[in-house]
Amino acid sequence: MDMDIPNPDELEWLEANSHLHEEDLLELSSPFPPEEERQSPPQSPSPLNVSQAYYHKRLQSDSPDSLNLEDIITSDEKRRKIDDAGPETEEDWLRYAPPQETNAEDEQHEEEIVVDEEKIVSRFASEIEGDFIPVTAPSGGDRVYAKICRVEREERSKKLDVKSQSNGLVLEPVNVLLRRVEEDAFTKALQASSEGSSDVVLDETQMVYEQLWVDKYAPNSFTELLSVEQTNREVLLWLKQWDSRVFGSEIRSTSDDILSALRRHSSVTQHKKSSDSSFPRRSRDYRWTNVSFRNSNDQDHENSNVKGIQDLWNKTSRLTGPPEQKILLLCGPPGLGKTTLAHVAAKHCGYRVVEVNASDDRSSSTIEAKILDVVQMNSVMADSRPKCLVIDEIDGALGDGKGAVDVILKMVSAERKSGTGKENATKGEQSGRPSSKKGRKTLSLSRPVICICNDLYAPVLRPLRQVAKVHMFARPTVSRVVNRLKHICNKEGMKVGTIALTALVEYTECDIRSCLNTLQFLNKKKKTLNVLEIGSQVVGRKDMSKNAFDIWKEIFQKRKIKQERKSSCGSMCNEFDFLHSVVSNRGDYDVIFDGIYENILQLHYHDPLMQKTVKCFNSLGISDLIHQYIMRTQQMQLHAYQPPLAIIVHHLVAQAQKPNIEWPKSYQRCRTSLMERMDILRSWQNKIPPRISRHLSIKSLVEDSISPLLHILSPSTLRPVALHILSQKDRNDLAQLVSTMVSYSVTYKNIKSNPLSCNQEYEATLDASAISLDPPICDFINFKGYNSGHFVLPLAVKQVLVHEVEKQNILQVSRSVHLTDGCNKEKIDLADGKNSESNSANDRAALSTVKIETGKNKLNPNQCNPSGSTMLSNLDLSARSDVKLKSSGNAKKPCTGSTNFFDRFRKVSRKGSENTDIAVQPTTTLERDSRPVLFKFNEVCH
Amino acid sequence: MLWVDKYRPKTLDQVMVHEDIAQNLKKLVTEQDCPHLLFYGPSGSGKKTLIMALLRQIFGSSAEKVKVENRTWKIDAGSRTIDLELTTLSSTNHIELSPSDVGFQDRYVVQEIIKDMAKTRPIDIKGKKGYKVLVLNEVDKLSREAQYSLRRTMEKYSASCRLILCCNSSSKVTEAIRSRCLNVRINAPSEEQIVKVLEFIGKKEGLQLPPGFAVRIAEKSNRSLRRAILSFETCRVQQYPFTSNQAIPPMDWEEYVSEIASDIMREQSPKKLFQVRGKLYELLINCIPSEIVLKRLLYELLKKLDEELKHEVSHWAAYYEHRMRLGQKAIFHLEAFVAKFMSIYKAFLIATFG
Repeated sequence: MDMDIPNPDELEWLEANSHLHEEDLLELSSPFPPEEERQSPPQSPSPLNVSQAYYHKRLQSDSPDSLNLEDIITSDEKRRKIDDAGPETEEDWLRYAPPQETNAEDEQHEEEIVVDEEKIVSRFASEIEGDFIPVTAPSGGDRVYAKICRVEREERSKKLDVKSQSNGLVLEPVNVLLRRVEEDAFTKALQASSEGSSDVVLDETQMVYEQLWVDKYAPNSFTELLSVEQTNREVLLWLKQWDSRVFGSEIRSTSDDILSALRRHSSVTQHKKSSDSSFPRRSRDYRWTNVSFRNSNDQDHENSNVKGIQDLWNKTSRLTGPPEQKILLLCGPPGLGKTTLAHVAAKHCGYRVVEVNASDDRSSSTIEAKILDVVQMNSVMADSRPKCLVIDEIDGALGDGKGAVDVILKMVSAERKSGTGKENATKGEQSGRPSSKKGRKTLSLSRPVICICNDLYAPVLRPLRQVAKVHMFARPTVSRVVNRLKHICNKEGMKVGTIALTALVEYTECDIRSCLNTLQFLNKKKKTLNVLEIGSQVVGRKDMSKNAFDIWKEIFQKRKIKQERKSSCGSMCNEFDFLHSVVSNRGDYDVIFDGIYENILQLHYHDPLMQKTVKCFNSLGISDLIHQYIMRTQQMQLHAYQPPLAIIVHHLVAQAQKPNIEWPKSYQRCRTSLMERMDILRSWQNKIPPRISRHLSIKSLVEDSISPLLHILSPSTLRPVALHILSQKDRNDLAQLVSTMVSYSVTYKNIKSNPLSCNQEYEATLDASAISLDPPICDFINFKGYNSGHFVLPLAVKQVLVHEVEKQNILQVSRSVHLTDGCNKEKIDLADGKNSESNSANDRAALSTVKIETGKNKLNPNQCNPSGSTMLSNLDLSARSDVKLKSSGNAKKPCTGSTNFFDRFRKVSRKGSENTDIAVQPTTTLERDSRPVLFKFNEVCH
Repeated sequence: MLWVDKYRPKTLDQVMVHEDIAQNLKKLVTEQDCPHLLFYGPSGSGKKTLIMALLRQIFGSSAEKVKVENRTWKIDAGSRTIDLELTTLSSTNHIELSPSDVGFQDRYVVQEIIKDMAKTRPIDIKGKKGYKVLVLNEVDKLSREAQYSLRRTMEKYSASCRLILCCNSSSKVTEAIRSRCLNVRINAPSEEQIVKVLEFIGKKEGLQLPPGFAVRIAEKSNRSLRRAILSFETCRVQQYPFTSNQAIPPMDWEEYVSEIASDIMREQSPKKLFQVRGKLYELLINCIPSEIVLKRLLYELLKKLDEELKHEVSHWAAYYEHRMRLGQKAIFHLEAFVAKFMSIYKAFLIATFG
């Protein structure tokens, strides 16, 4: 493509003078073949005239509904804007930069109507309706505007496409721009005229008429955005990915274009990082101009572009589905233009923005209707654009406001379920012929949703974070913001130095909104911005709360003091103020101090004698005391004493290097596992029969009892041999052990191999499934990095113990206890034997022997009772056993009333009720026979 | 059954350790004039045993027929109703509970349960006492409000019920309540008394006690009878024919604390402090109360310390323990103590060795 481009010097000059020089800038030679070219006498347009001049490249498109028209409109607008403001001359050239398009159907229709009766060539662009190009005669420099025919050859249209797409990122229609020019002129005139008049009048009129600068100079097009290019592009790309879903396949070509545009744009900006422009608003664009200017080998340039598009074409055929994450979450500090970006990008992509913000009712019922309305409905009216939902300030959604998050999550999860199928469907549709965009109606999220928040780590957003595409908003560079501010000041006729602006921007931390408001305020008051007094001047300081990580960073990291001119005392003072405001604005002192506590020991501060550490911990301790006191007495005003404590810590340990900060978790973790342990202990204590447990508190359990109990429960003398081989002494020990276990309701249990199990490595060698104590009391002495010298019983002994304890429990409680693990057959047999009388004689014989053993074991401990303590009357015992039955009946099945006969055996008088089981009748005699012997034996023993 | 439970005295006459108190109590009850009682003393000294024996003295053996109940109360507190759930032990004549388990709403429990008891006052009195007994455990953990409300109800329903309060430290019980009760201080048993008990048990179990063995156990028991008997039984399980220099297995958490102490002595740096923090967390997670950890830690540190530092270190331990009790996050103060100790110790080392 061959075009005449004003050289950069010229542009610089233009910008320096910042006057309207339309004549200079409209020197374009046509990139198009002469057949479109008509001559007309030269003209020198007046400012207003020229401002009407706009390019209008009509593209040939497959369908009359082509959305490309929108582009053209935007390009016109851009042109218009350029003409408005002299400094933006090079905007013209920008058109050859990123080809971008939007999809707006409403504009497109009115455009359609006008196109038919138009002039073909004219000296005045305003006379041509529709697409046209300016043509300058090679000889005289005469300039005409030529209408572009709609019938063109295929490949040319493609070429044109490339170029025309590059224009337009301005969305405002011409008439708006025109009106604005008039307004500007009017305002200026008004200002000029009112200059002389009295102050009172001036104030009144301005109060009435003046718009907020923030609104007045809000970016209207994509290229005007101040936010970081990367973010802008990603947001736009994300929105573009919705095209296939929202617009059907019509948008395909344009989405390719946007991709290529983005790519070119990015490559250019990368190349041109070094070029420094003092141009106020569109420094980046200006750079682009330089590039294209230098890149005089137009043919090459074009070729490469075409190639790039080809690549992208292939690429995007894969990309056309709706984006992976259905929700975009923009977060960043206030005043950087998140909302603006969302609006601009959505508008740019042809959506109608529906905004829900904190001022709206956000209870879940109303929000659900609203979101469904936006997201799932396709509009009935033909000219309405699809909607894009922007939920602003979603992190402030508390209480009722949570509804929004819930509804969105619900829809996303619904989407997930049917996600794959739908996407396939979309693709199929995509590859086919163009289909109407109202073809499908889904119940899930079918429109882009953009959520905006300040604090990414707000608890409400936790679930949303996982499903959404998150974009952190970075601060724009100071120079960029300053440039824009300067531009605005120039336009408003306010004299502010760059240094002052820089100071302001730094003070507000690139918060454009705050800067603008301040400037406007100062302008109103006829004051100038004073560098030194920014702190004291009425700079709009917002109630900014940073997220916790930032606060910790501020506390642990020394700020680099850039301004050397500040005296050390002053900077100290500032630092204090700054930290104080930061900490107190956040307010969540509990978390802040937790974070300090968790991270402080990871810092590398020089502290040979630990004095700093001691001081820091003192501060932490005091903050804890204050916190507790406040909680108890509800004297919230005492919170004022918390931030200085954080500042003390800052002064003690702050380092220049970047701290590695983690979210404080260990305190919470400690609390939850403490709760767990407490629950274990409490339930254990409840299981222990009351006559023992009443003497034990949980504290005394852990403090005094568990360690010895574990020793007692695992005697090293117990050998893993069959019961009948055991010596009498060993049997006594075993019986003693079993009775202890029963009385403390401790048993062994099969557990799946659990890394926490205290004796896992031992048993892993023996058996896959380990057996460990049932209330896992051995965990309580199993400290990390501590090797307790507890003897671990062999597996065989444990199994024996399990059997014995189970038997005791069965005997004690009822026969209808359901056996949990079903591990030992004996017990099942036992239960069977009791329940049904159909057991074989063999079984019964086996049973009886088992029971004899149990009887023996059980007898021993009871007989061991010293005379002093066996004073319990029969009555007591039976009553107590009743109690036991009842208490354990809660956990297990209630006893059926047929208290077994063995109870009578175990405790001499423990039989509660009368009926005995017929099935076990044979054993009765056996045991009765053995009883006296045992008694005698035991008595001898003691 | 463990020896602790097996040889627990069931009646006031059997009590071996606090015989004088037992006799006084017996006199008190038999003379039919039982005031409210407040038992206080360190754990493992026998408060609960005395109370149970006392109940038995009052009500006879029926006091031992207890049942466990998970009672719920619905309390109408103005605008809302509060559901409370608490485990109680009750017999026909007494109810036993720890109201502090329900946290800050313990006030309601105290009020309600006393009213309940007053309503269901035993009518048939033949030779038995015409009142019920309410045993409240851990009174020192009661909230201030609960103690205040207790104060009134104690008087109002004193005809129908007697309160037996049980706590570790009487200083946390308000003056008003203390003045309404007969305060009974239960000392920790002296080592001689512990030895006596151990020998008694040994005789009953038919064990041969080598000379000095019981004394050693008593020394290690921290004057807690429960702990002494438990470690006695542990020794018995581990090695029966006792030898006089037999190892007495320590409490595991105490071992762990002494490991921490030696860690602290070995190196003093923020890095080490961070490791110590992990270990302290371990202890706290396993339900060891932070005060006890601090106390034990101090004890272990003092053992290893030079004389001249002991005073200062003890001072700081007290300082941080005070803070710990006032504050909420025990770990902050525990660690602050460790940091302080490290600082002191390091300065000392540098001063001594250059």
